[in-house]
Order: sequence, then structure tokens, then C-alpha cells
Amino acid sequence: MTGFRPIAAAILGLAVTTGHTAPPDLPPAVKRQINFDRDVRPIFVKHCFSCHGPKRQESDYRLDRARVAVSGGDLQQKPIRPGNGAASPLLRYVAGLDPDTRMPPKGPRLDRKQLAVLRAWIDQGARFPRSAGDSMTRTSHWSFQPLDRPTPPKIRGGGNPIDAFVGRRLAKAKLDFSPRADRRTLARRLHLAMLGLPPSPETVDAFIADLHPAAWERLVDGVLAHPHYGERWTRHWLDVVRFAESHGFETNRERTNAWYYRDWCVEALNADMPYDRFVVSQLAGDAIGESAGTGFLVAGPYDLVKSPDVSLTLAQRQDELADMVNTTGTAVLGLTLGCARCHNHKFDPIPQTDYYALTAVFAGVRHADRPLDRPTPQAQLAVLRKQLAGHRRQLAELITKLRLPVNAKHNIEKFAPTRARFVRFTIRNTNSSEPCLDELEIYTAASPGRPARNVALATNGTKPTSSGNFGPHPFHKLAHINDGKHGNSHSWISNQSGRGWVQLEFPETVVIDRIEWGRDRQQKFSDRLPTRYWIEVAEKAGEWHEVAGIADRAPFGSSNTAPADRLARSDLSREAALARGLQGQIGELTTRLNGLAKGPTAYVGRFDPPPATHRLYRGDPQAPREAIAPGGLTILAPPPMAMNEPEQARRLKLARWLVRPDNPLTPRVIVNRLWHYHFGTGLVSTPGDLGANGSLPSHPELLDWMAGRMAGTGWSLKSLHRLILTSRTWCQSSRPRADATALDAGTRLLWRFPPRRLAAEAIRDSMLSASGAIDRRMGGPGFKVFEIVMENVRHYSPKKTYTVNEWRRMVYMTKIRQEQDEVFGAFDCPDGNQVIARRSRSTTPLQALGLLNGNFVLQQSRMLARRCVTDTPGGSTGDRVARAIRLAFGRPPTPSEIDAGTRLVDRHGLAALARALLNSNEFLWLP
Amino acid sequence: MSPRTSLDRRRFLGDSATLLGSTALATLLDQDGVLADAPIRPAINPSSPHASRSAHFRPRARQVVMIFCSGGFSPLDSFDYKPELIRRHGEPLPGKKLITFQGEQGRLTRPLYPFRPRGESGKMVSTLVDHLGELADEMCFVHSVTTKTNTHGPAENVMSTGFTLDGFPSIGAWVSYALGSEADDLPAFVAIPDPRGKPQSSVNNWGPGFLPAAFQGTDFNAARPIRNLARPTSITPAADTATRRFLDALNRKHLDRFPGDSELAARIASYQLAARMQLSVPEITDLSTESRSTIRLYGADSRNPLKAGFARNCLLARRLVERGVRFIQLFNGSYQTGGEGTSNWDGHKKLKVQYDVHGPILDQPAAGLLADLKQRGLLEETLVVFCSEFGRMPTFQKGASGRDHNPDGFTVWMAGAGVKAPFSYGATDPFGHRAVEPPASVHDVHATILHLAGLEHRRLSIYHNGIQRRLTDVHGDVITDVLA
Repeated sequence: MTGFRPIAAAILGLAVTTGHTAPPDLPPAVKRQINFDRDVRPIFVKHCFSCHGPKRQESDYRLDRARVAVSGGDLQQKPIRPGNGAASPLLRYVAGLDPDTRMPPKGPRLDRKQLAVLRAWIDQGARFPRSAGDSMTRTSHWSFQPLDRPTPPKIRGGGNPIDAFVGRRLAKAKLDFSPRADRRTLARRLHLAMLGLPPSPETVDAFIADLHPAAWERLVDGVLAHPHYGERWTRHWLDVVRFAESHGFETNRERTNAWYYRDWCVEALNADMPYDRFVVSQLAGDAIGESAGTGFLVAGPYDLVKSPDVSLTLAQRQDELADMVNTTGTAVLGLTLGCARCHNHKFDPIPQTDYYALTAVFAGVRHADRPLDRPTPQAQLAVLRKQLAGHRRQLAELITKLRLPVNAKHNIEKFAPTRARFVRFTIRNTNSSEPCLDELEIYTAASPGRPARNVALATNGTKPTSSGNFGPHPFHKLAHINDGKHGNSHSWISNQSGRGWVQLEFPETVVIDRIEWGRDRQQKFSDRLPTRYWIEVAEKAGEWHEVAGIADRAPFGSSNTAPADRLARSDLSREAALARGLQGQIGELTTRLNGLAKGPTAYVGRFDPPPATHRLYRGDPQAPREAIAPGGLTILAPPPMAMNEPEQARRLKLARWLVRPDNPLTPRVIVNRLWHYHFGTGLVSTPGDLGANGSLPSHPELLDWMAGRMAGTGWSLKSLHRLILTSRTWCQSSRPRADATALDAGTRLLWRFPPRRLAAEAIRDSMLSASGAIDRRMGGPGFKVFEIVMENVRHYSPKKTYTVNEWRRMVYMTKIRQEQDEVFGAFDCPDGNQVIARRSRSTTPLQALGLLNGNFVLQQSRMLARRCVTDTPGGSTGDRVARAIRLAFGRPPTPSEIDAGTRLVDRHGLAALARALLNSNEFLWLP
Repeated sequence: MSPRTSLDRRRFLGDSATLLGSTALATLLDQDGVLADAPIRPAINPSSPHASRSAHFRPRARQVVMIFCSGGFSPLDSFDYKPELIRRHGEPLPGKKLITFQGEQGRLTRPLYPFRPRGESGKMVSTLVDHLGELADEMCFVHSVTTKTNTHGPAENVMSTGFTLDGFPSIGAWVSYALGSEADDLPAFVAIPDPRGKPQSSVNNWGPGFLPAAFQGTDFNAARPIRNLARPTSITPAADTATRRFLDALNRKHLDRFPGDSELAARIASYQLAARMQLSVPEITDLSTESRSTIRLYGADSRNPLKAGFARNCLLARRLVERGVRFIQLFNGSYQTGGEGTSNWDGHKKLKVQYDVHGPILDQPAAGLLADLKQRGLLEETLVVFCSEFGRMPTFQKGASGRDHNPDGFTVWMAGAGVKAPFSYGATDPFGHRAVEPPASVHDVHATILHLAGLEHRRLSIYHNGIQRRLTDVHGDVITDVLA
């Protein structure tokens, strides 16, 4: 491979410059050709393998794997320098020449003859046998090899190239295809597999009646063009990219605008965006006009809990980066890159430095919102701006008559002198939280010789009461309302959000004409300000009359130049109300305008200038070693990048390299992934790992042929779907055959279509579809199935009942990490914490309980029952039973089903039948 | 199950994640390299994933009860007696200034509860846990446990799953994956949340991770039943029975078209198990059959509703042990009803005030459980583990009357099957800050629990995304000193 030549040259160079520096006490190399198995292995077996061999790997070092043996374990200091035995630390350790490290630490030491053999072996290039694997930058592992371009074999019985490869493998095992499935089954299978929804009975009947020779192809094309296709296949992709709409970890807060990424995926798949562009968009969509695509980078969990403890902060950041690297590795390359975080990959040719080169690519990516750069709708903006200008003009005219708007510092209410024993300040709205007043001053009407005085003061004998008080809190007490002291720390706060009242009672009736109040005269705080309030006075208890309030004030937030002590007037309430209305509309318009002008903001990551990246010894964030430049996998000749490569360029270069025509992994991974979803098992049964620890392909030529076709035909996913769907392989019956089951019970050779239980989403969507309740609206924010307790640490509890709002497809169910839908979560539904390339498929009694007794299913049963009545006007019970079975199974009922169903319905109602149907194996089955 | 659904034709080998429903064809293709390191994988019959399976070697403990004190239970105020801390009370912690989870540290602070020698062993235990202290002779203390993080959620994850991140299989899931259950009408793994709500990491503490969902913990407690367990009130018993009978007939007809299909047969079986659970679970949560003396032993008659609630959960735990449930995770403390120490052990600011509330809720009921298991002979084959996600600092936080998180040295104790008692293993430094002699990681604790359950922690694994995943990651050594 490409990386090898320069390394070989470097080794030669090293040999030339340091060849003569052998210490005198190292025995000279033996002068014969060394054979590893004959000469070296016995030494390793005797002295080394007990700690550094197949069973144990102290310090992650092993001498039975060439790559690790040469490049080192945790210490990574290249213990073997091929071509130069004398300079190889390994030889120095075993010769006892290194004062710090002597190997083996216990037991007999190597004799001089053995040392001479080892030295010669290293001098001659330290060659290992093939069985010991390859060097870090070479590999013979199949998935790294260039794509094979096999010609589809000719087989009898026809079919497309897929069938040729599958058929040849079947023939080798002395097996044959099963007969084609009947049309009813095919239509149901097609809709469930491609759209995640069953076909309507009418669709099935129409297909059965379609005599056109290309009837199947037309049905396939219709399904591929259907917008539900994008939703169904986006759900698969969201598993792989660990997408969820909460942050996870202990606070688990909502991510309310993460859905833009989901919508982007749906649209991309529906438009058949070429897969290479699909990949590039997700790593660097900001560079190619697909900015929502980068939601991929930050779709994983994010720890919001921050601490002054730096060790925690560093570890959190490394976990974030690991999440991005791992997800990219599993999703696009089918490699477990995370294994190289602490040491060189134990199975695949991925040195630890490659891992850190990849983290350097993402080093500037931060979990955060970012505005989506979408074109601004200029015409719409112009209309809004004109409206806004009109409103502003109108408002400006109106408010000249009105008093000043309220402000946090100081407000004056001036009115005609009035007799008062009681004054009450009532608040009905604030700019935020519970209302706060720092002081309420009430002045007597001045007369000659008797200046106005504040009769509200407690020292005057005035007593405060209120609707309720915040706290207990030393700063905020009822007594502070009239203590003569200003500022937040001498204030009163109501115990109710946005409302409350405070009342003062004077020791005797007085004549007053002015009230002054503020939220904080010291101007440190401007929250909690009453914005809707009125002031009433009474001479006798209960005989209130209003003297001032917002009735004639300009709306809060508007600007006005009236004098502060203008007399309050009750005849301007209409104008004030108009002004408030205008002000509200101006606010809304401004928000809409700004939103439109800026475009939406989504959880698609923020890009900061990247800090330097270092290799971390054993993955420890507090043990940084050498600086590492951004890059890819050395073995696949990644693009060169500078240590200070600009942030976006890092991601873009990596992304383009991922989809470069000579990268064999990316196309293999995606065609295998599609195959996995079609047949339940991939050609490689570990779709997240095509590395040495994954499984081998069952049909290697087919995999490569499809991968080559993918990369060579514009990366169209729909084109590959079409090929698969029109293959004889896919269209086979799924019924078991004794001869084939005996040989291949797991159906890996595809002698039939492998039937299986539907996944959670398809089950839920199918129920909604059968009952007719389904809400097919696409896109936008999802629906929620949890009530949220808004504490610092969020708590989610399942909703008790569901309404029409929850009857959209499950792909739009707001995905909360850790929490699962109370019925469908039990069907192996991933929660977005881990990359899931292959869901497990288990069967548990909790699933049965959820489907039998869960409120959702009961509601849908009743709706299905009602639908059967509506669909069969004037029909008999038998007709309704038949309709229910057609809606649930897409087939006509058998006579015994009609009989048994009628008996059930007669005694217990149609909903009982519907409940049984929605629980049945046939309903949950991909046939 | 019907004799028609003959499953024995199939061999269920290898990776159960693929196998619950579809069989990997390792034998025919002989290509799947995933079995190379020959980990021990349980052979799981998809129709009864909870059937009892044999251990790797003879187990000492057939069942495990894990009492999990959520929030960071302070060993220095309970089980880890530090005379030096008392002597040096009020002095600064030697060494350079320490920044921990919430910030700067104040002075060394002696235990807030007096310690007294207990039992024949004379083990010093504080009055915070007086009842538990009286059982000190039954306990095997590991005083030198360390964990990987000082944040609650991730640390709860470590204690329950071995990893800081969410989404890894919990220890109860691992054990039930390996061993199934002794009970055929109950889940293999039950998580009992505190009456006040769920712990910080919520369901991740008992999640299946990437193990099949069959092995997730089923959460219910004495006050809150399993979701969807009861027949809905809108459906009469007769209608329910008739519906299920009709469903069963439909399913059997359908199975005729796919003879021998294990996934379909498993679904039929799951409805039968569900029906059995509908009978057995209400019975097991009905504590009215318990004697007055038992009720009093646990403190389930307490006028403190939180104590009585936790006591009923402890009683429920014993009943689950009696019925053969494999793994029981019993939580004390929650995050559902308020943060920082109000409903759990997270005593940052006013530790004494809060522990005065939490101590009585925990102490007598947990001690009652241990004593009851002992007197009924159940402790012979049951391992009880008492743990928290981490401990707390020997200092008060600067300007506060509470202790910050301490992941570097805390106490876990075990009792019952297979462990030495009375026994104390490991120690923290003289102040109780860091584990010094021999430190034991949470992985070591997990390895030890698995060992006692008859499982080799290095070989109990599942293949996930390219890695043979284990409870103990790539770490863990059995703490052999504590084995009886």
C-alpha cells in the first residue's frame, strides 16, 4: 500500500546512520539467514510470551503480532527498529543493557547465542510470518484491499446480477432459490421494508389485478418515490449516528432544535442525494451549502455538568471528541476507531497517532446551536418591514398623549387629592418571575406651610399586608415595602409568578395625591418589574377606587418623552390599550423579521478555532505527548494537513477523503448496510465493523460488485434499492423449507427471504395506519410522549393518554436519551447513547404486557374497531371482522377466522378483536 | 408450549444478540471471526431467555442484592473510621490546594456522627447507621474503592455498568444474561427505585445496553407496580381471556406457515410468561402476609412515610430473593424530588442536617433486610452488596458545612454468600481521602461479584461494534482476599 515505501526508506536511512554504534557488549549478529518460526519464535515462546504473547499483553505489548511488536505497546517507542538490531530497545532490554528495563524481569535471561540470533533477525528486517499479522501501515485484511470488480456469473433461471452471485453460492451448497412469493406477500413486504407502513388493502388488490408485465417494477418505483421512504430509512440512519433530542448524562435537558438534522436526512434520502455528498454534508455541510447536515457531528450525548475540577473538564472534552471519531468510524468506514484511543488498535492497522489525527480534525467542533445559512426570503421580509414601519408610526402618534411607560428605577403616579385610609398595589403581570417592589412611597397633598410627606413609612405607623411573600429570604420581606430603604436587598417580592398585591393601611385617614415606586432604585436589577398593575385607594375597608395604573401609560418597552409626573387620566384607557396592542405586534413582527433574516438556528454544532491536539498517553487527558496534525488513517493515504490547518478545511478534507474513489471501505460499508436492512443480516453480519474483529462477508464478490456499482454510478442509494428489490433473491417466498433449514437455518445463503419481527417504529406506525389514525405530516419539531419535570436535572414521565398530536410516525417522536416510549421502547429501541449499527431483536414479556395493556394500543384498538364499522355501512358482524382482518393483515380472512372472530365480537365487541389483531404475530411480521 | 413448535432442531450458538430470532450460521460458513477469543457466551433459548443457565464454575452466590445509596454516601461519617481525621479536625488538608467537583476545599472535618465498636469484631461504625452497625460481624468491608469520575450520573453508570457513558449493559443485565433466573414467573433482574423516585442516571442503572432487551432490569417497587401489568379496568376478565384465546389461535395458525420459527414461538411464549407475571407480581408485592414482627424488624410500620416506604422495598427485595430472582438492585435516594442532598446522600452544604433525615430512612430497613435474610438462611446463597457511586471528602467545602465528591477512596461492603466476615480489606489514607493500600477499582468489585456468582469476568462478553464488550472493560481483578 501507499504508506509502505517511505517507511521502508526511513528504515534504510536509519540503518545507514546508526549501523556502527553497536555497544561493545552486545554479541554480533549471527551470519546466516534467520527464519522466524525456526529461530526466533522458540526464544519468544520460552522467555517472552508468558507476559507479551497471545494470552497476556502486559503494557499492551505483544510479540506475536508484528505490528504491535514493532511499534510498541503503551510506551510506543518502537522497541524493534527493523534493519537495526543494535538500536532496537528490545534487544537492549533482553541483553540487560538498559538500566531501567530488563527483560524478562523474572526467570532465566537470554544467552549470548540467543541475543545474536535476535540481533540478526532484526538486522535482516524483523520479518514476521503472515500469521503474525502485518505492520501498522500494511494489512492483508480484506476490507482494506481495493474493490474487486467481479463479473456476475451466468446462472440458470434468470435474475439480475445479485441473483447470479447469490445463486452461485446457493448452488455450491447444493441449494436453490425458493419460489417467488405471492403478490399479496410481496406488496406487504415491500411497503413494510421500504416505507415502514403496511399497504392499504386497496393498494394490494390493485397490484394483484395489475396485468402489466412490469407491474412489480412499477410498484417498486412508486414506493421509492414515496416520501415515506425517506422517513423509514432516516430512522435506520439515526440509529447509526446515535441521534437523540436530549443531551443525556444526568441533566438530560432537551435539545429542542435538533430536529433540523432529522428533516435534512429525510429530504436528502427522498431526493436520492448521492451518498458521497450525503457523507461530506454531515462532516462539512457548512462548506457545501448543506449546513443542517453537520447535526451528525453533535448528535451524540453531551455532558452539561461543568466543574472547576480541570481533570473532569479535560476528560469530558476527550469523550466528546471520541464520540465524533467513533461515530464517523462506525458509520462511514465500518471501523472501530475508538479502540486506538489508548493504544494502537489491537486488530486493525490503526496506530494511536491516527486516532489523534482524527480528533484533531474535530478539535474545533463544539456542541452548540448554529444558524443555518439558508437563503433569506427577501420579498417576505419587505412586506414585514413595511408593516412594522406602519405600526411604529401609529404607536409614536398615540403615545404622545400617554404617560411614561413603567421602568425599573422610579415611577410616579400623580392624581387628584383623595382621602385614603388604605392603598392597594395590585400586579397582574411582570417582565419576569414574581413581582418585586423595593419601596412604595405615598405622599400627602402639599399645602402652603405643609409640605408633602411620605405617609407610607412604617415609622408613621402604617401597616403592610400582602397576597403572599417570597422566601423566607433576608433581602425580601414584606416589611421592606415601607422601611424607607431602596434597592434589591430591601425589597418585597410576591410569592406568585407574575402577580400579587401589597396593601398599606395608615393609622388614620389622610389626603394623598402622589405615589412613587420602583423595583430597584439602585438600578442593579430590572427583572420582576410589574408591567400590568393598578393602584386603588379606600377610605373605608372594601370601598376601593382606582387612582392610577397602566390604564394611561405607554406600553412597557416603548419610548416616550412625557414628563414623569404627568397627571393620571382614566379617559385614555382605549388609546393605551391600542398602544399596547401595537407594541405587542411590533415585538412579534420584529422577532419574526429577525428570525427570517437570520434563518433558523439548529443544534448542528459550532466551529471554533481548533486548539493544538496531542497524543494522549494511554488516552489520559492529563498525559499529553507529541503534537499531532489533523489527518485520516495512514493506511489509506489520507490527505496531508498542516498542524495549523484551518478548522473547516480539516473536516472538508477528511470528508472528501472518506468518499474518494480509491477508499474501498466507504462503499462496502454502505452497500452492506442497505443489505442488512433488507435481509435482516448484512453480507458482513457486523455492519458496524468490517475490520479484523468483524465477520467476513458471506458473499464477498457480491459485496464488491455492488460497492463498485455504487461508487461508479453516482452513489445513488435508490438505484441500489431498486436492483435489490427487483432481484429474484428479494422476491422469494419466506416460508421455511426442510431441506434448506437443515443446511442453513439462519438463511445466510438466502435460499429464502428471511422473515422477521418488525422493529418498534414499524409496529407503532402500522397500528396507526391500520386504525386510520395516522397523521402523515412530515418534518418539523417532533411530538412528545413524556411530561417533563423542569428541574435542573430533567425528569420525564410517560404521558397517561395520547391525543391526535401523538399520532404521527414514530421517527418524529422526540427522542429522549435514557427514556423510552413505555410500550415500544421495549422492542429493542435504541436510546441514542450508543451507535447502533445492528439492533438486537429480543422477545420479552414486557413487550407482551405493553401491547396488551398499554393505553396506546387500547386506543388504537378502539379506533380500528370504529373504522371497521364506518367502512362497512349496514354490514354484518362478519363483514366487520373481515374488514378488520384485511386492514390488519392485508389479506381476506379465512372462514374459521370469520367464525371465531364473530363469536369474539358478539360477546366482547369489535375492540376486543382489534386488540387481538394488533398483538398478533402476523401483524408484527415482515413476511 | 405446543409440541409443534419444535425448537430443538436449532442450535443456538454464539452471539445471542443476533440469535434472539435469527441464527448466525457460524457452523456452515465458518467465517465469522468473532468467536476467535472463545469468550463464554450463554446459550439462550429465545422462547425462554430467562431460563436458568449454568455458571462458568460452581457459584458461591446464586443471587445478588445490591443496595445502592444514590448521591455519594459518606464513608467517613459511617463505616470508615479515621482517628487521625478527628485529631486533625480544623486543620487544612496537607498538600497543595485541592480543587474538587464543586471547587475549593476548606478544613478537615471530623465525622459528624460518633463511632462505636460493634459486635465481637469491635468494628468501628458510626451512629448514623446504628442498626447496620450492629450487624458489622456479618460484613466484609472494602475500604479502598476508587472510581473514574467525580460526577454523579457518570459515576452511577460506572458502579452499575462499568463505564462512565450511558448505554452500556448494567451488572444486573450481565448476570441475568449469563445465568437467567431461578424464577419462571418473574423477571430475572428487578430494580427497586427509592419511594422518592429514580436515581440520577435513571434507567441506565438497570438498562440492557447492547445486550438484548430481555435482560434489562424490570423496575417496580412496593408502591408502584410494573407498567401495564394489570388488565385495564375498561376490559372485563372474560373479554381479556377471550381475546387472548383468540390471539393464541391466530398465532398458532400463523406459526403453521413458518414451522419451527423460533422468533414466532418466542412471542407466543412471551404472552404466556406475561400472563404468569400478572399473577405472580401482585402476589409478591402484597406484603399483607408478613408477620407483625417482620414488619417491625424492617421498620415498615414507621410513622415516617419515607422510612416505611423504603422498608417495604427492602421487604419486597427479600421476597424476590425467596422467589429466585437472580439480581435485585435496591436504591436508596433519588433525584426525582429535588437536587443536592434533599432526597439523597449528596451532602454538599449542610451534610448533618440532611443525613439526620436520610440515616433513619436507610438504616433500620436495610439492617432488617440483612438480618431477615440471615435468619431465614437465605444469606448462605445470597450476596448482599452495599455501595454508592463515590464517597465524600474529609474536608468541608470552603464556606459550607458539607463534603464534596470523592472518587479516590470510598467503602463498599458485602455480606453473605462467599465472602469473609467479619473482615476489612484495604484502607484509605489517615484522613480517608485516597485509597492507599491495595486500592480496588469498581472493576475489581464487579469482577469479585461476578466471581462469587460463578462467572469469569474476562470471558463473560458480548460482541458489539467490533469489540468483545465486558462488564469490566479491559480491567478488573477478583479481590481474592475477601473470598471465604
